[in-house]
Amino acid sequence: MAIPRLLFVTGKGGVGKTTVAAALGQHVAERGERVLVVEMAADRSLAALFGHSALATEPASLAPRLDGVRVETRALVESYFRRLLRLPFLSRRLFASGTFQAVTAAAPGVTEFVVLEHLVQWTATGWLGRRAPYDLVIVDGPACGHALRLLGTPRQLAALVPRGPLASTVGRLVRLVGDQTHTGVLLVTLPDEMAVSETLEARATLKRLDLRLTRPVLNRVWPRRFSAADAAAVAALRARRDEPLLAAAGLEITARREAERHLGRLRRAFGAAPLPVHEVCREAIDPSALADIGRSLARGLGADAN
Amino acid sequence: MRTDPSALAALLRQRLIVCVGAGGVGKTTTAAALAAAAALRGRATVVITVDPSRRLKDALGLTELSSEPQALALGDGAARLDALALDTKRTFDRLIERVAPRPDVAQRILANRLYQELSSELGGSTEYMAMERLHELLQDARYELIVVDTPPSADVRALLEAPLRMTELLASQAVDFLKSPAAIITGQESSLMRMTLGAVLKALERWTGLTLLRELSDFVSGFEHLVDGFRARAQAIEQALRAPDASFAIIATPEPNTLSATLAFDRELGAGNYPVAGIIANRVYDFPPLLRGAGRQIPAPLRDKLTANYADFAALGARDRAALETLRAEASVPLLAALPVLEEAPTSLTALRRAALQSYSSRVYADSAAALRRRGFAARAGAWTVSCWPAMRRSSFILTLTRLPCSASILARSRL
Repeated sequence: MAIPRLLFVTGKGGVGKTTVAAALGQHVAERGERVLVVEMAADRSLAALFGHSALATEPASLAPRLDGVRVETRALVESYFRRLLRLPFLSRRLFASGTFQAVTAAAPGVTEFVVLEHLVQWTATGWLGRRAPYDLVIVDGPACGHALRLLGTPRQLAALVPRGPLASTVGRLVRLVGDQTHTGVLLVTLPDEMAVSETLEARATLKRLDLRLTRPVLNRVWPRRFSAADAAAVAALRARRDEPLLAAAGLEITARREAERHLGRLRRAFGAAPLPVHEVCREAIDPSALADIGRSLARGLGADAN
Repeated sequence: MRTDPSALAALLRQRLIVCVGAGGVGKTTTAAALAAAAALRGRATVVITVDPSRRLKDALGLTELSSEPQALALGDGAARLDALALDTKRTFDRLIERVAPRPDVAQRILANRLYQELSSELGGSTEYMAMERLHELLQDARYELIVVDTPPSADVRALLEAPLRMTELLASQAVDFLKSPAAIITGQESSLMRMTLGAVLKALERWTGLTLLRELSDFVSGFEHLVDGFRARAQAIEQALRAPDASFAIIATPEPNTLSATLAFDRELGAGNYPVAGIIANRVYDFPPLLRGAGRQIPAPLRDKLTANYADFAALGARDRAALETLRAEASVPLLAALPVLEEAPTSLTALRRAALQSYSSRVYADSAAALRRRGFAARAGAWTVSCWPAMRRSSFILTLTRLPCSASILARSRL
C-alpha cells in the first residue's frame, strides 16, 4: 500500500521525527509529487533542516514541489471562532476577555478539532472532485500522546455532539481519519527500552482507533560491524587492557546488539520489519545524509512502488 | 573542555534541585543519578520522576502505581534515598480534596466528567502536578534534598508557571462568563449588543450540542470555591523555586539539534530569574583522535575493523567537543559535568549507583597523563582528554570519590 496522503510522523521527544519527516518529504518531492511538510512543534528544527529560520503559517516553498508550513494552534483556534461568530466586534471582545482562552483550554477537543480540520484542507478531495492541493502532507509530529489525542478527537467529539452543523464536520473528520488511504501514522523510535515500549503502547492505542499504521522507523541504529568471534576477541582484549580503540568497538557491539533486540520486538508487535535508519556520524545532518535517509525510507514504505 | 565540579558539589548541597531539559536527553535517569549521588554523600533525598522507563522503575524499586515514596537501598552507609513516580491524576484528586472548603464540593468536582478528562489530559496538568507534588514533599521533614524531574516541555516557563497560570485561568472572567455569558459586555454597550450576544451564544450552544457548555459551566463554578486555596499553593511553589536553597540543572546532550533547545532553556530561566546552577551534558562521546600506532598488538583483520569503527566514534567525539565548546561559550551558566555515553543505560541499582558516582566525579581521574598515554589516548595538556571509562572498571574508582575534595583541586589545577 502506498503512503497515506496525510501522514503523521510521531514518537517520543528526541527520536528524530523531524529528520524522518524532512527526509521523506524531500525524497517524494524529488520524485515529482507535490508535498507539504507541516511543523507542529515550536522549536523550528524542521525549518532549520532546509536552511530557513522559520516556516510561515501559510504554505511556502522549501524546494521544487516541496512546501513547508507551521501550525500555530492558538491562532488557528481564534480564526476558527472568528469565522464562526462572523461579527468582528463580538469576536474581538471575546478574544480580549481572557474568557475565550479559558473556554478553549478547558473544552476538550476544541483545539484538536480545529487543527485536524485545518490539516485536511490540504489532502481531502474538494467539492465536485476538485483535486487536493498536495499529494502528500507530512505532519512533523506532535509527541506521541498529543498525536493520539489529535487522532482520537473526531470519534470522541462524535459521541459528544450527536447533531447539528458541528456533527457533520466531525463526521467528515471521522471518515477521513479512518480512511486507510487518507490518514496514516508513522511511528519513529530509538533503540532504547523506553522509546520502544512507548511505541508499542502507541501502536496498541492507534490500532484500537482503527488507524492505519505504516512500518515503524527505528532511528539511530548502528550497523553490524563485528561478528560474534570479533566481539569475543574484543572482550578478551579489553579484559587484559582496555583502550579507546577497543572501548569504541565495545560500545558499537553493545549498541548493535541492543538495536537488534529492539528490531525484533518491533517486528513481532507490528508484524512487519521496522525500517532502520543508521546513526549519522557527522557534525550535523547535511543534505546528502538527508537524501540517503529519504531514499531508504521511501523504499521501505513502498512510496517508490507506485 | 572544562567542567565545574565545585559547582556540582554545591548543587548537591541544595534543598531542591529541578532538572529541566529537552525531551530525550536522559533527564529522568540523570535526576535519579543526582539523587543517588547526594544520598551517597549522606543527604536524605527523594527524587520525583516523571514517566520513568520500566527498567529504571525496576532499578528504583517502583511499581506501576508508586506515587508514594519508595525507599531504595544504596548500601555503604548512604543516607535515605526515596523515589516516586508522578501520578498526575491522583495528585490532582488529592489537591482538590485538600483545597475544597467542604467534602461535598470536592466530590462534585471529582465526579464531573470534564474534570476526569482534564485532570489527566489537559495540556499543562502534568506540569502543574509535578510542581504540586513538589510542594507536598517540601512539607515533609524526612528529606534534606528533593530532586524533581520535569515533564518534557519545550517551554520551561510554562512548566514552572503552570500553577500560577492555572489559578489565574480559573479565577479569570471565565467563571463569570459561564455563569452569565452577557457579563463580558460592560455597561456602556447597548442592549442591542447584549441581545445579539445572547443569540450568538444560543447558536453556539445548539452548534455544540448543548451538553458541553452546561457541563463546562458546572465544572468551572465548582472550581470557583477552590481558587483561593489554589492561589496560596501556587505562590508557595513559586517561592520555593526561587529560594536560595533551590537550583535548576539543565540536562542536555551535545547533539546539534538539542543545543539550541538547551540554550533556549538557559535564556528562558535567566529571563524568569530562576536560579540555574548549570548544565549537565549527558551521553557525551568522549573519543579523542587516536595516537599513531594504537592497537599495534591486535591482529590486522580485527585491527582494521576496529580502526574503521573508531573513525565514526572519533567523528562523534569531534562533534561533541565542538558542541560543549558552544555551550561553554554561549550559555550563561557553567557546565557542571560531562557524562560519557555508557555502554548500557543505568537500569539497575548498581548501574545507577555507578552513574551517580560518575555524575559526581566526572573527569576526576586517578590516572596520570603518562598512564593515559600508555593506553593510547592523545592526552595533551589543556586539550580535550579522556572520559572516566577506564576508571569505571576499577575498584579504586569509589576511592576516587571519597577523596573528592582533593581530586577536585587536582582537577582545578590540571584544567582538564
